[in-house]
Amino acid sequence: MVSYSMDEISITAEPVDNHRCKFVVSVPLFEGGARRFGSPEEAAGSPLAEAIFRIPHVSEVHVAGHAVTVIKGDTAPWQMAGKAVGAAIRASLQASAPPVAARASAVDPALDDALFAKVSTIFDTRINPMVAGHGGRVDLIDVQDGMVMLRLMGGCQGCGMADVTLRQGIEATLKEVAPEVLGIVDVTDHATGANPYFASAKK
Amino acid sequence: MPSRLLLILPSTSYRASAFLEAARRLGVAVTVASDHRSTFADAQPANVLLVDCGNPARVTEQACRFAAEHPVDAVFGVDDTTAVAAAWVARALGLRHNSVEACEAARDKHRQRVMLAREGLPVPSFALHRFDGDLAAYARVAPYPCVLKPTHLSMSRGVMRADDPAGFARAVERLRLIATREDAAVEGRETFLVERFVPGDEFALEGMLAGGALRTLALFDKPDPLDGPFFEETIYATPSRLPEARQREIGFTVERAAQALGLTEGPVHAEVRVNADGPWIIEVAARPIGGRCSAILRFGERAAISLEQVLLAQSLGLTVDGEPAAGGQPATVEREPSGAAVMMIPVPRAGTLIAVRGVDDARRVPWVDDVVITAHPGQQLEPLPEGNRYLGFIYAWAEDPATAVAALRAAHANLAIELA
Repeated sequence: MVSYSMDEISITAEPVDNHRCKFVVSVPLFEGGARRFGSPEEAAGSPLAEAIFRIPHVSEVHVAGHAVTVIKGDTAPWQMAGKAVGAAIRASLQASAPPVAARASAVDPALDDALFAKVSTIFDTRINPMVAGHGGRVDLIDVQDGMVMLRLMGGCQGCGMADVTLRQGIEATLKEVAPEVLGIVDVTDHATGANPYFASAKK
Repeated sequence: MPSRLLLILPSTSYRASAFLEAARRLGVAVTVASDHRSTFADAQPANVLLVDCGNPARVTEQACRFAAEHPVDAVFGVDDTTAVAAAWVARALGLRHNSVEACEAARDKHRQRVMLAREGLPVPSFALHRFDGDLAAYARVAPYPCVLKPTHLSMSRGVMRADDPAGFARAVERLRLIATREDAAVEGRETFLVERFVPGDEFALEGMLAGGALRTLALFDKPDPLDGPFFEETIYATPSRLPEARQREIGFTVERAAQALGLTEGPVHAEVRVNADGPWIIEVAARPIGGRCSAILRFGERAAISLEQVLLAQSLGLTVDGEPAAGGQPATVEREPSGAAVMMIPVPRAGTLIAVRGVDDARRVPWVDDVVITAHPGQQLEPLPEGNRYLGFIYAWAEDPATAVAALRAAHANLAIELA
């Protein structure tokens, strides 16, 4: 386990709305794929998730690579909660234990493993050949409890139409072919996309 | 079976995420109709549709063919051009919407001026000229100080002030180049508008029409002076500091302007100048506020309802919870009471974006909720009057709008924009 000094840790908050915010961290939080925590009980053993669940109204936490996505039930702006999440991230990275523990046996990990394999095949055979048309690529990060975690790359990263591709294309295709998919979580850092297929303009 | 919304969206829009999230919350199926072919066009034909946004006859044909297989309950265009396209489609499908004529009038700054002046609305005196006309003669009779404008470009692109004939000549030449650029609107390339400069403070009204009656959703102050030579909008702050009576006067004037144009339904975004003579209509558009500014508006008791949710609910005849609205009437939701302000981060000079530094520091400024950089590294950027992109947006909420505005300025001061 590597611990980091405060100077090494920078955090970028990317709120989607008042309920959901992604925090992209300059150092890795979890390199073992992705983990989703739906309750404080599920967070037990993962200090970062435990700390975030101590923040009022937090209902769900996703961690993958350099990103943690926090979902909360109240509608207050992210200013206060965001600072608390930032403090939790920094504290967990400076502790001796890993911020996020590897996934212990889930209720039925075989189901997610099977779904991972199925979704991976769908990505390879259907989704990636399509998004390649715009210079994009979608990486499957993990499947947890039916939630598919993915990262957009290439022309999709930072593209103004990325959400259209995600919701209208990828999610719809996945649910069509694999109805057991409950949803998707985008863990992309769109701010660093250097070559988006569609760049937004004043419209 | 859920309602289906046909959302007409330019592929360069900032607003895809906000509208899709609003539709998801309302529980409606969405078809995104856009001007570039989606990579999922074949795989998800009910979800994405290629349309020719700038060609109303063609987009109507494409949408009607689609609707024959996938019945559509509402159509919504997110900007000036797609609002016109949506009006054509709605007329063909028999859906509630503003008329084609009203949307076209709102989109054409000259036609709008003519119609508003005819109805006695307070608009600056104006004239339409041709780029290939007698420019020296135009310059001699222009009402200095005056403002030159393209007739079909959005926001303040190409808008310039001239204080004398020499300045007029320089502005015309610059405007001609802007209006004929590849990324400019196909309409309005031969003509330009000249109008008297109206001194005063500027305000923006965000509203919603239902049966011709206007409901003001927010009135924004624009605290930075907009006196030229260009008219770059930077900060919008709400609630307005204006006295209640003046705010009502602005709302009344915008409602009359919308009625004069024939607008009856859906979003209205109006720019108004106020001086000792009262409010002057600068522009009325049949679309919501541009860029990512709408994120600053939140509605309902828990401030959890977006502007897009309010607008889509109205167009579908739903409440903001996605339930059928009684009599199809729009929901009456109020904006949260706190002060809120958004900064459209200006592009400081032309160049290739290398990086924007100091974003984390800007985010740490008290009251600042977020800093979003929408330009991407390697992107060619230009400031106004030529440019058509923002660098990004800063959002602040505070107990009062003045505090939020101060926070925006402090956050902006932390940004170092590196251009090559």
